[in-house]
Amino acid sequence: MKRSISAEWLKLRHSRIGLIIAVLPILSLLIGCANYYFNQDALQNGWYSLWTQVALFYGVFFLPILISICCSYIGRLEHLNRNWNIVMTSPVSIASVFLAKWIVVGVLILFAQVLFIGLYWVAGTLFSLPGPFPIETIGWMIRGWYACMSITALQLGLSLRIRSFATPIGISLCAVFIGLGMYIAKLGLFFPFSLLNIGMSVMSQDPLTDMQNILFWIINLAFIIIFASMTIRRLKNKDIVSS
Amino acid sequence: MIKLLGLEYYKIRRKKIGIMMILFLVVEMLWAFMSISRSIASNPDHAVWESVFFSISSMNGLFMPIMSAVVVSRICDMEHKGSTWKMLAATNVGRGRLYAAKYICTNSLILYGIGVQALFIMVIGLTKDFPGTLPSDLLFRFIGGTLLTTLAVAALQQWISFAIKNQAFALGLGMLGGFIGMTAGLFPAAIRHLFIWSYYLDLSPVTYRYAESASVYIVQPESVGIVLGSLIMTLLFYFVGNFHVSRQEI
Repeated sequence: MKRSISAEWLKLRHSRIGLIIAVLPILSLLIGCANYYFNQDALQNGWYSLWTQVALFYGVFFLPILISICCSYIGRLEHLNRNWNIVMTSPVSIASVFLAKWIVVGVLILFAQVLFIGLYWVAGTLFSLPGPFPIETIGWMIRGWYACMSITALQLGLSLRIRSFATPIGISLCAVFIGLGMYIAKLGLFFPFSLLNIGMSVMSQDPLTDMQNILFWIINLAFIIIFASMTIRRLKNKDIVSS
Repeated sequence: MIKLLGLEYYKIRRKKIGIMMILFLVVEMLWAFMSISRSIASNPDHAVWESVFFSISSMNGLFMPIMSAVVVSRICDMEHKGSTWKMLAATNVGRGRLYAAKYICTNSLILYGIGVQALFIMVIGLTKDFPGTLPSDLLFRFIGGTLLTTLAVAALQQWISFAIKNQAFALGLGMLGGFIGMTAGLFPAAIRHLFIWSYYLDLSPVTYRYAESASVYIVQPESVGIVLGSLIMTLLFYFVGNFHVSRQEI
């Protein structure tokens, strides 16, 4: 497993994927800060108001698309140059190939999240916001990342199945809107893309009840297990298409 | 040229790009329908044709850059994947003409998408029973404005999709474009006009004026400067892209 993960890291060398991952949090934060700066009269809740501005577009729309881009990239490497044939005949189990890719995308997204929260702290300090840095935002970041892991399992499954780079990203865009609709309809706990919204407390900063919190962690775990096992099963039982 | 264009359509005949676009547009229109319904429920004065034009134009700021990026990437990436760009370049057809054929093919698909949007606008208006007949002048301005902006966005995307094999950059650019298009309304006009993705809102026939007493939809006068800006960006992205890709080593 460790060797599978290091092989995945090796494949990402010189890909400059880090550049794409870094740009989005930076841009989200800059636009969110500009909006906060121009509307400070209406946004009176200090650190929390700044969070609503910077996390809204990032958490709801662009983080899921960023995940799908990472998954498509990591899947594309296998679709090119008949690499599937090499992967499938190597002495490594299918499960460890999938899990290594899932972990690597998870680490990339964790990097984006840490960068985002770091920039949020810098922005809040530069704005001289009253009160200490709200520790719960770190919890929201971790919860958001955990929700990202279930989206990653789903998107990775799609990207390993669909040879096109762009189609899974398009599907992710549609899913973002379905997720938003389900969140508004108070069914957010039953869809991975809405779970990200809940996890990052983007639209409502009210704390989750104990029950909601437990459900959040359990349902996400269930999604991860379901999507991962479906993909591994499919890779084991169906012929891969390689050209 | 017609032959080259025919070949482009032939290559994508089983790629189901049209169906994929319809899927995007259905999600966008469902979202627009929900948003208009909520807006009318809170303020019955919003039950006008202008509301649907504004709502879809503002959503296009997010959807169209990503949709254009996806369509262009699929059409260009097939040449990278099969190493067929080298084969095509070895034929007695100039790379510039191949580039033009792909550009026309992409934009014809996007025009089809915009046509579907226009159809949805009519359906939403008729379903909601808006007063008066369909304002055809607004509809034509909507189609023209969206197409004009998309021509520039597609030219930029085609350049990036061809020049950089790793499609993550092209899709990343599409995502950033969607981000800027979506938040365009927050920028001052001078900054907004520098970004092509914000033109979906600037070339929209309708705008929304926020006021403390009552916010209203108003018909936006046509701006020759914005139209010219869009055309200049289209020509710039297309010719620079064509020049770069035609001279790039494969």
